[in-house]
Amino acid sequence: MSPVLEARNITKRFGAVTALSDGSLTVEPGEIHALLGANGCGKSTLSKVIAGTVAPNSGVLRFNGSDIAPRSPRDAEALGIALFYQELSLVPQLSVADNIFLGHERRTAAGFIDAKQLRHDTEALLQRFAGVAGDGFSADAPVSTLAPDQRQIVEILKVLARKPRLIIFDESTAALDRRQVEVFFDILRSLKADGVSSIFISHRMDEIFAICDRITVMRNGVTVTTLTTAETDRDTVVHAMVGELAVPQRFARNSAVAAEPRLVVSQLSSRRLDSVSFDARPGEILGLGGLQGQGQSAVLRSLFGAEPLTDGSVVLDGKTLTLRKPADAIRAGLAYVSGDRGRDAAFHGRSIFENIAAASLVKERRRLVWPNQLKQRFIDAAAALNTKYDGLDAPIGSLSGGNQQKIFISRWLATNSQVLLFDDPTKGIDLAAKADFFTLARGLADQGASIIFYASEDSELLSLCDRILVFNSGAIAAELTGDTLTAFHLTNAAYGKAA
Amino acid sequence: MTLLRNRLWLVTLTALIALFVVNWILQPNLVTPNVLKSNLTVFLPIVLVAIGQTYVVLGGDIDLSVGSVVALVNVVTVSVIAALGGGPGGVMLGMGAGLLTGALCGMVNGLLISGLRFQPIVTTFATGIIFGGLALLVLPTAGLPVPAEYWRTYGGYALGLPVVLWIFIGALIAIAIISRRAFFKHLSAAGGQRTAAFQTGLKVGQIRIMAYVLCGLFAAVAALCLTGETASGDPLMGRMLALSSISAVVLGGTALSGGSGSAFGSVLGALVLGMIGNVIFFAGLPFDYQTLIQGLITLLALAGGVLVSRR
Ligand SMILES: Nc1ncnc2c1ncn2[C@@H]1O[C@H](COP(=O)(O)OP(=O)(O)O)[C@@H](O)[C@H]1O
Ligand SMILES: [Mg+2]
Repeated sequence: MSPVLEARNITKRFGAVTALSDGSLTVEPGEIHALLGANGCGKSTLSKVIAGTVAPNSGVLRFNGSDIAPRSPRDAEALGIALFYQELSLVPQLSVADNIFLGHERRTAAGFIDAKQLRHDTEALLQRFAGVAGDGFSADAPVSTLAPDQRQIVEILKVLARKPRLIIFDESTAALDRRQVEVFFDILRSLKADGVSSIFISHRMDEIFAICDRITVMRNGVTVTTLTTAETDRDTVVHAMVGELAVPQRFARNSAVAAEPRLVVSQLSSRRLDSVSFDARPGEILGLGGLQGQGQSAVLRSLFGAEPLTDGSVVLDGKTLTLRKPADAIRAGLAYVSGDRGRDAAFHGRSIFENIAAASLVKERRRLVWPNQLKQRFIDAAAALNTKYDGLDAPIGSLSGGNQQKIFISRWLATNSQVLLFDDPTKGIDLAAKADFFTLARGLADQGASIIFYASEDSELLSLCDRILVFNSGAIAAELTGDTLTAFHLTNAAYGKAA
Repeated sequence: MTLLRNRLWLVTLTALIALFVVNWILQPNLVTPNVLKSNLTVFLPIVLVAIGQTYVVLGGDIDLSVGSVVALVNVVTVSVIAALGGGPGGVMLGMGAGLLTGALCGMVNGLLISGLRFQPIVTTFATGIIFGGLALLVLPTAGLPVPAEYWRTYGGYALGLPVVLWIFIGALIAIAIISRRAFFKHLSAAGGQRTAAFQTGLKVGQIRIMAYVLCGLFAAVAALCLTGETASGDPLMGRMLALSSISAVVLGGTALSGGSGSAFGSVLGALVLGMIGNVIFFAGLPFDYQTLIQGLITLLALAGGVLVSRR
């Protein structure tokens, strides 16, 4: 039998970032095929290329034996390909029924939406998750009122309602509980019985070994191998994910970590955090690892006063801090560098000077500013990072992503912050700029700063951190130091608990 | 609070009833056929423009050019009627030309915004100036009366009911029809979560253009009504309509961010704005207060919407 889908040598670049350098995948009819790989290795991008959402830079796609080049999700859907979007493709304002059949509304002879039929069809689909979907899950409920697991169920049903021949489930079980996953697996099995092929992306090893026929493993935008589930085991798969480069390039420490902690965090709790306690010492780079969205960003944002805490205490240099808003954190000497520069850091269209000045102005409570008094300080701060720019008056947008990020770090050097919170700071930055950034972070730590560093890519954590806290569901699941600072341990700690 | 979520129009309905009662007390002859009819005649244009504006806002966009569209449609209509000699056929053709003008204006806005990805606010602000300029080109000064049959029919009766009431009923039927079409859901999706709409395979570009065309069409009907009221051409007609229509949309509970709302709510909102004018007039307050109070009430509605959605 010829394969349903063949993707060969797919590449995709987003600006300077190469998301996919050699994505390949072959799926047989009626197969459940796992796509596995660390965060940021390109699974979602490959899925979107297949589903027509993202146009590849090069590569071959074949579907049922003929070459295809879907230019939009609409094209792919017409071919019989549907994608469960990791970030979901739901409209919060519309009801469950409207979302499931969006674009496929059954119409009456006069061309009106057939409300009765719509309701009937929706009920029939909801029936599959009856009893496990929780309260408030009905055809008429607006999606905005649903819990995360219920939204995932809606996205699953929406994909099924399109009656595709190939479905890609991109982390479709991330928010589901055990019983919901069972129902979902039953659906996968009945699809398989009908000859429908599924690509299943998940971080839960147990799930993958329970349901998948074959496993394709990706690493850094490249497909490394395809294994048959019955002939392999967990360790082999993890090793394939991690690769030969088990010990990535280290940015070695040049000075000792002080023994006394500078920052002591105890029992932090909030909507997304469950009693998180740790400390950070001067000269140390403390990593936050684990699967995406397990509370790492929430810790950093809460410490910066950008997200509310319900409980817990933060002590810096012996002083208890009250962190209600970022200004509190800034004045206490905390700095926050976000990977989401556009949202969290940049003043678009403003000069580099103004972008650097922002934090200093808050910290020093300046009301009036004589630029010339500050200029030298900012030039020194930016020079320390080896940042290339035309002049302090150039707009921030004239810089590349990597140089912008350096400017945002200069912002904090100018305030002399001693605790730096890095929230996936290298997102969308090219490799050379990343290496620069790592050297810089190491240098700052060597001079006595404490850095708390969350990265969505494991290799970054491993090459930079002195210690890694592995997060799971808003709590710290493991702490890696010394000998356990390896990709193998990190992957196992991150996946082990979830499995 | 949960009851009020997405039901801001209930508050507006309550306000409308309250305003009506106050108006009735201040103006005891309010509930007589003639007074009601003349009220409706005054409110009809803003009701129609607000309906059209709703679709654009629902799609996550905005149309600041509707006021100028009304003026342009008005001068095109009177000019075509005059050029064709003012017979019944000429009137029909004139009205057709007006409707076409409105649809074309909407099409231009839609193409610029959804096709070329221009900013909706800035674009329609600019096209508004252009449409206004075109209106002045077509008819430099107010004048050019329409034939008496035009305004007599508009101010008259058909099948025992005022023509303005028929138009109002027709508008309600139109919005009921539109709200039951798949288009309406697709529009809400495009405005609510544009990426999701695209990923779902909707033709987001076409949908947004369609909303602008609808808006232009409703503005054109409003212009034809205003023409029936003023009985002549005026290139400066409808200047306040863009902002009032947005006020009405907000009062009617449609989110300015797009994705949720209803044209029916906007009808209520437009009526509330009109009734405020009435109450101010009959309470003996200077007319200058009208805009101020309408502005304050719109602000209140926006604040209410924020409060309701925050919990
Ligand atoms: N729209 C985008 N713009 C810039 N970079 C992107 C975009 N989408 C993905 N990336 C980058 O591409 C890489 C692969 O991402 P993704 O496909 O989401 O990985 P996965 O799903 O395996 O976690 C990541 O480094 C990510 O930051
Ligand atoms: Mg992904």
